[in-house]
Amino acid sequence: MSHNNVRGPTSALTEFLRASGITPSTVARRATQNQSVPGPSNTSGEPPSVDETSITRRTSKRGRRARSGRAGGYASDELDELESPPKKSKIVESQGKGKGNSIKRKKKATKKGDDDEYEDEDEDAYNALSKSMWANPGPYSKPAIGSFEQCAKCEKQFTVTRYTIVTADGTGSLCHPCAKSSGTDPFKKSAVRKRKQPTEKRKVVYFEEKRFPSLVSVCIDIISEYIDDIEAFGDVGAMNTEAISKAIAKNRRLTPDNAHLFYGAHHTLLTFYDATKLSTPSLITLAQLNPNLTSLRLDLCGQISDDVMDSWKTTLPNVTSLELLGPYLVRAPAWIAFFENHKPLESFLITQSPRFNLECMKALVASSATTLRRLGLREIGHMCDEFLEHIGSCKSLLHLDVSEPTNSCTDIAVNTLLSNIGPTLTKLNLSNHSLLTDAVLEFGVAESTHQLSDLVLRALPLLTDEGVSKFFSGWSNHPLSYVNFSRNPDLLSSSLSSLLHHSRSHLQVLDINGLKDVELSALKMIANCPELTSIDLGWCRAVDDFVLKQILEGCTKLTEVKVWGCNKVEGKWISAGIRTSARIVGIEGHTTH
Amino acid sequence: MDIDTQTEVEPHTTSQGDIENGEDWVRLVSNDGFSFLVRRKVANMSGTIGNSLDPSSSYAESETKTYHATNDRGIIVQKLIEYMSFKAHYSKAKGDVPINELMERIPPEIVLEVLLAADYHEL
Repeated sequence: MSHNNVRGPTSALTEFLRASGITPSTVARRATQNQSVPGPSNTSGEPPSVDETSITRRTSKRGRRARSGRAGGYASDELDELESPPKKSKIVESQGKGKGNSIKRKKKATKKGDDDEYEDEDEDAYNALSKSMWANPGPYSKPAIGSFEQCAKCEKQFTVTRYTIVTADGTGSLCHPCAKSSGTDPFKKSAVRKRKQPTEKRKVVYFEEKRFPSLVSVCIDIISEYIDDIEAFGDVGAMNTEAISKAIAKNRRLTPDNAHLFYGAHHTLLTFYDATKLSTPSLITLAQLNPNLTSLRLDLCGQISDDVMDSWKTTLPNVTSLELLGPYLVRAPAWIAFFENHKPLESFLITQSPRFNLECMKALVASSATTLRRLGLREIGHMCDEFLEHIGSCKSLLHLDVSEPTNSCTDIAVNTLLSNIGPTLTKLNLSNHSLLTDAVLEFGVAESTHQLSDLVLRALPLLTDEGVSKFFSGWSNHPLSYVNFSRNPDLLSSSLSSLLHHSRSHLQVLDINGLKDVELSALKMIANCPELTSIDLGWCRAVDDFVLKQILEGCTKLTEVKVWGCNKVEGKWISAGIRTSARIVGIEGHTTH
Repeated sequence: MDIDTQTEVEPHTTSQGDIENGEDWVRLVSNDGFSFLVRRKVANMSGTIGNSLDPSSSYAESETKTYHATNDRGIIVQKLIEYMSFKAHYSKAKGDVPINELMERIPPEIVLEVLLAADYHEL
């Protein structure tokens, strides 16, 4: 022990003693000096070797604690092992002394006269129990394994094993039958393993915490710290509130506390891109602190509840535009009450609201049919043909999004709707209505709409190549600027070429992700779209470096190109010296681009 | 204002090995004309700055070894560099990161500007 310097945690007492110059070795030395008569303790009881083993092998709960304490390296334990100069018998003696009042008391009883002086001297000497001894105050210590012992109950002789149990009062050991009949299970496993589990759980958290804090998160922490003193940030209004809101949302750090940064009675617009952490009360507060809002957009606002909607109908009297992503807790009666008690809305866009049913739709139309300009009912579980009937009475709609329903609407319902509201529509999204066919294009969109600029027909598996190409070649609408025909794997080259032929001059965003069999000849036509800023060519198998080079050269306004799943694209135009400001993502060979 | 005035190594005389180790010097210029010389490995802590100074890219920044922070004034760029040095030093070290020391160095008056700049520079 003395040859290494490794030391475990120590108790306050040990620490204090060490500070005052009392160490195990000095204590042991003093003890040996003080003992004028080394013999007696040895003669008093059991052989010390037995005692020693019994202590280390103790299986009772106390003993276990003692052992773990020893493993932990309490310095006072070294009393038992340290001190090489004195002879072994002396060490044993000091152990015996330390080991317990029990032995000492026995000594007192048997050889009082002899021990008197010794005892008195001991009053002054450092004789604190070593840690392993504290746990063992009982007068009886368990005998060594393998030795014979008399049962404390039935008084039969039996062999001590590691399962042998000490009686409750600590006066003796029990034989196996007595131990069993006393109700304790001698083979019961220790509780040590159970205790280990929490430490394992803690480890997982440890790994999560290891991430290096970003400067953005540090700044947000500072904002939260000073949030009660908003003036400290200078003129927030002059800053780009929108950008700050985005930066905070990106880290999911918008909380009820720092949301106050964006509040103000004079604000008319409020946009939170991640309101996950805004609780129900804080959403009510939001409305109370921004009474003049006309436009409110909350993304990921899962905690909006009936209470919030009830509060908003009075606290947000001026809101005409409401955009919510994920208000799934709001029940139908709360929606209806909101529509009935609030002034007509011009813009109502919700996504993912499984409780928004036909009754809500009726209430919305009843209150806002004439004013509604933008209507978004995305991923609404109850969407059905009846919904479309009611939407049909909103005659001034410019923007309609009824995409991603649970069950598709039918051709007839969509065509009827478009014949009602089609003439004014500029944006239309009918994605993922899996029952829609070419008939919607031919008799609905082509006949009724004339002002469309955005058309999203994503994932409509029944559309055919002939139908789509016929639609674009015969359509009187002016060129589109935003087109999404992604996830329609049956559309081929003629669809794309007729689409480009129709909208080439104004096209800004084109998404043909998943049109797997489009050929090179059609893809090359994309290079003739002068206004194109963003394109998704994902999973178009024919796309290669040459087509992409042509597109990059032809469409000078491109800022984003997605080529996920285009296996032939390797990015060779970079070495060919083509310079582009576009961000090209998804090249298989370039994980960082 | 040169934050690192003890530089004696001329940027043009650095060896290829230095560039690979990030030991060569690059210049960061704020929009009000302050210029800061920092080790490349420190500049690389920012994704945006690191990419535009990447020797294998053909940006003008990488050829001149100068990055222009066109949106940020000197004090903001200085705080960015303080964080980048902090990160370069502590991200490899074991043990606790004394993040409080950094927080104390950013006064609340500029924290919103720092926030926006940090967001842009992927810090």
